[in-house]
Parts: sequence; structure tokens; C-alpha cells
Amino acid sequence: MKRILVVSATVLGLALALFVQTQAQGRVTSIPAGGTPLLPDNLVNGPVPRLADGHPDLTGPWLGGGSNADIEREGGLKPGELPLLPWAKTLRDGRKEQDEPYVACLPMSVPRMNPYPWKFVNAYTSKGLTEIYILHELGDAGAHRVVYMDGRKHPADVFPTWYGHSIGRWEGDTLVIDTVGYNDKFWFDSRGTPHTDKLHTIERWTRPNYGTLINEFTIDDPGAYSRTVQLKFTARRVRNDIELMEDICTENNQAGIAGGYRLNSGEK
Amino acid sequence: MRTKLGVLATGLGFFCLAMPAVAHHGFDTEYDANKKFTFTGVVQKVEWLNPHMRVYVDVTDPAGKVTTWNMEMTSPNTVRRQGWGPNDLKAGEKVTFTTYGGKVVETRGSLVTIKRLSDGRELFVAGGPDASVPK
Repeated sequence: MKRILVVSATVLGLALALFVQTQAQGRVTSIPAGGTPLLPDNLVNGPVPRLADGHPDLTGPWLGGGSNADIEREGGLKPGELPLLPWAKTLRDGRKEQDEPYVACLPMSVPRMNPYPWKFVNAYTSKGLTEIYILHELGDAGAHRVVYMDGRKHPADVFPTWYGHSIGRWEGDTLVIDTVGYNDKFWFDSRGTPHTDKLHTIERWTRPNYGTLINEFTIDDPGAYSRTVQLKFTARRVRNDIELMEDICTENNQAGIAGGYRLNSGEK
Repeated sequence: MRTKLGVLATGLGFFCLAMPAVAHHGFDTEYDANKKFTFTGVVQKVEWLNPHMRVYVDVTDPAGKVTTWNMEMTSPNTVRRQGWGPNDLKAGEKVTFTTYGGKVVETRGSLVTIKRLSDGRELFVAGGPDASVPK
């Protein structure tokens, strides 16, 4: 009996694993993310550390918390639920992964999170918390994303950039980041999900326990979507001794050569 | 038996769960999972560079012709976090390695395993692309 149970558990485990794999990948082969050690399970439910001003300390570093391979699936939607306008769906479905600007070491932007650590950095000055910087080990292309926390508004004449213009505020224990002014160059995922420069995003970041960070993410882009989209991503704290390391993506990027294609040669 | 099966199930579960999506670029746009080679050769250089670590190995065929295999791994930071460093493999060392070949340029590969012959130690295994490729 024990043996039957164990065999059944094994089969079930394998089936589950394969299911998860299928769901998570959509294909069987990829360069691994692997290797960034995560916080052990027994520490995940620990208390949320607080900043001197009483707000939750969201620093991290974290792994995940955004899209990567397929924003629709990773954000919690069913296949086909993402309300892309017909032209945008056609564009996505015709895109080839190797043409993504990110593969050519350009910024992955928002809300993408590659499988490397990232963190919030709170910049306190004599005026208090004036900015929060968001740093990724890889995917920033040497830039830094800044979130203004000093109460300013978006400029009326913002021009499109990779990270746009971000302003943030605390709503209780939730950090709310509102961003406009994105360019249309980056993809939401390696699948090619597009947006336009009308994109406006709202991130609502909460830390329910020591090891978990939640990103309630709103896409508001009437240029490419028929309605606003609500997604949810979860990040996991990396192990406490892990810090961000230097990663200059352009120093030796040989992507494409083995497969016989030129980076960024196709439609952008 | 029970323990072994349990461990197997758990291990496979973690293996599959741990299989990530794209890190920097996909496998199947560049490499051919049906082309898997094993050779012995001499390390020409090891590049701890971004976005992917690379190992170059010179392989000499029976006729004396030398072919350099340029093999990609995951990021150097990932390999570093697994405890490996620049002293673990150096130019001039003899190794046996297994790699997937490039789709178009075959000798540009995706490294699966590499073993240092001086002491028989497998290096960088957990950091190699095979962590995500079905065997």
C-alpha cells in the first residue's frame, strides 16, 4: 500500500511538475535563469522590516515581481484575455524573440523582471525621502529608474523615454508608482507583447511578509489595449547575503551569432 | 525504496519548477537540442564576462586539425553565486566537455558539462544551460 501511495505521489508529482513546466515555459528549452539563491522557506513568513519613517522597507533585493516570458500568463490572465487591439495582437504574434531590444542589451523597462536580483533604493535627503531608485542587476542598460517621492507632478510636455517619468507616494503600507512618458520600443516580454507611447502604468507594491513582495500592476494604454488591464506579480526575497553584482550587458554580447541572426535586425 | 522515490519525485519537481523562462535570450533561437557533442580538449580561455560567461576549448582531431569551441553558459554572476571563481578553470587545462551545437555556427555551443581532467572534477555544472534542457 505504501508503495502504491509513493508511486502515485511520484506520478502526481511528475504530472504536476510537467504541467507547471508547460505552463511556465510554453516551450521546452531556454537559457536558465537559475542560480540566484532565494530566501529559505522558513524565513518567508517573518515580520516586515520598517523604515525609520514607519513605512515598510521594500528594499530587497528581490527576484521576480514582473513579466518576463509572457506577461499575459505571468500576470495571472488566461490565454487570450489580454485585451490587445487587433493590430497589437498581430504585431505580437509576428515578433521573433531574438528581435527584442533587451537581447541587444537595451533596457527591459517596466514591468519586466528578468531572473536576476533587483532592489528599491530609498534616497533620503534633508527633505526626507525625495526619490526611490529601482536598480536591476541586469536589464537597466546602465540607466537607473528614478521614482520621485517629493510630491511633484508629471511634466505636461514629457517626451518618451525607456523608463518614462515616475512619481510615487505611500498609501498606507502600499507604495504607489505612477508612470507616463514611456517610449514604445521595449517589449513587455520575450513573446513580444507591445505597447505604445500612450502607456500609463500604475504599480502598487506591498510586502505582506518578510519574503514576499506583490506588484499589483495596471496597464493603461489606449493605443494598444481596448481597456485597462489589471495584473498581479509576486517577487521573492533573495537570500540575505545576496547583493546585486556588476553586469555590463554590452561588454561581450554574442547573442545571435550561433543562431545566424543579427541583433535587433527585425521590426522593433 | 520509498525514500528514493520520494526524493526522485521531489527532485524532479524542483528541477522542473526551477526551470526558468528567458534570462537574457532563448535557447532554441540559437542552439540545437538535437546536436549534442562530447569532446576532450585544452582550455584556450575562460571569459567571466557579461551577459554570458564563455569557455573556449581547443579540440584536436585525429588528423591534427584544431577546432576551437566557443561555449556559452549562464551569467558570470550566477556562476559566482554558486561558489565558483576564476581559479577553478584556467587556460591550458585539459577538459572533457559536453555541449549543444549552434544552429548555424555549430562550434558556438551551449555548454552542458565540463570536467577538469587533472582531478576529475565537474565544474560549473549547476550553472550550465543544461539545467533547463531536457536530457
